[in-house]
Amino acid sequence: MHISEGVLSAPVLITGAALTVAGVAVGLKKMDNERIPQVAVLTSAFFVASLIRIPLGPSAVHLVLNGLLGLVLGWSAFPAILVGVALQGLIFQFGGLTTLGINTFIMAAPAILCYYIFARGISHRNSGVAMALAFGCGFVAILTSALLLAASLIFTGESFLEAAKLLVVAHLPVMVLEGLVAAFCLAFLMKVKPELLGATHATG
Amino acid sequence: MRPGKKESLLRKTTIAIFIAFTLTVPLMANRALAHKVNVFAWVEGDTVFVEGYYGGKKKAQNSLVEVFDEAGVKLLEGRTNEKGEFSFEPTEKTELRIVLTAGMGHKNDFVLPASAFGGAILSQSSPSPELQPSKTDFTAATIDPHQLEEMIDKALDQKLAPVIKLISDTRRGGPKLTEIIGGIGYIFGLFGVALYFSNRKKKERGQRSEVRGQQNADSK
Repeated sequence: MHISEGVLSAPVLITGAALTVAGVAVGLKKMDNERIPQVAVLTSAFFVASLIRIPLGPSAVHLVLNGLLGLVLGWSAFPAILVGVALQGLIFQFGGLTTLGINTFIMAAPAILCYYIFARGISHRNSGVAMALAFGCGFVAILTSALLLAASLIFTGESFLEAAKLLVVAHLPVMVLEGLVAAFCLAFLMKVKPELLGATHATG
Repeated sequence: MRPGKKESLLRKTTIAIFIAFTLTVPLMANRALAHKVNVFAWVEGDTVFVEGYYGGKKKAQNSLVEVFDEAGVKLLEGRTNEKGEFSFEPTEKTELRIVLTAGMGHKNDFVLPASAFGGAILSQSSPSPELQPSKTDFTAATIDPHQLEEMIDKALDQKLAPVIKLISDTRRGGPKLTEIIGGIGYIFGLFGVALYFSNRKKKERGQRSEVRGQQNADSK
């Protein structure tokens, strides 16, 4: 999910950066003081998740956890993912400085999308339904990220359909795994700290 | 009583799974499974070998390799084989920039300095005929320095091959545990600072409104 430096053209990079700035601004505005520690915890989860590589598929794919971040944090996922991607770039050399904006957008935008599609139904009393929604959240977030990544590669000469097919197939195991992780985390939070989930939906 | 027991068991297993998951992350990460494409190139004789790989053992197969000279002029291009390797014989022995594009937005480059070609430059550029050894007075003292250099180069290439391999292997080591923990530390530090400032702002606002409240009370 991390585009290397020197692959994309300037217009794509600038668009990505602008969208990220906007998203982060909204995220920071909506962030509650009391939720800052929670954002920190999920940011570090996101930061480490990219180190879990999944050996299946033609290329190197890894966990992203953006669906989970969207589910729990809502708009705060934007600043969280920005910090995570920046540190991954600085410390692990994933992606790069010029691609920080577009990489953040590719992972954070699906998080917000999933937040709006799935998170609202999560307060459902039936925990089975809630877990199914969380699974969908993790699954769809990666799917959308893969499609966004394919879209941003259009201008580099790779055809969209070809790149999209390749990326979606490569990320299929990640989608399933992320869905499971999101469902498990949700089950955990519902048992231990249900008010964390409630808070998001009240403010969102 | 029963459903409560069942619930607490479920709760305990969820917690156990969650803890197990968080604990295994750094352990798995320690096996150097990065998500970034790397390139490494070395010279053996007249041939330049290029190797592309993701973190760990995963090779970058069928990836585009482009070779540029110092001025940025493209000299040649090719694709890596199923071992992630590509080799070519450069026409000029100058500094080469080798760019590997692995698709899906992965790209990296490696600069092979001119010095990597070693003495080969000397032995190629000046094959002066008068220095050729004549068969009549072939002694150790009059051995052609160019030939000698070539022989040494060959021997060194052979001897250094495992060392070069070792360097290429160590370069592929992914993120270290210290780096991962350092990163997490950064995140918590950053959010700690954010919390500090937002709390201070809140306090200031609180004090200001208190003062205002007092002023209002005084004016009344």
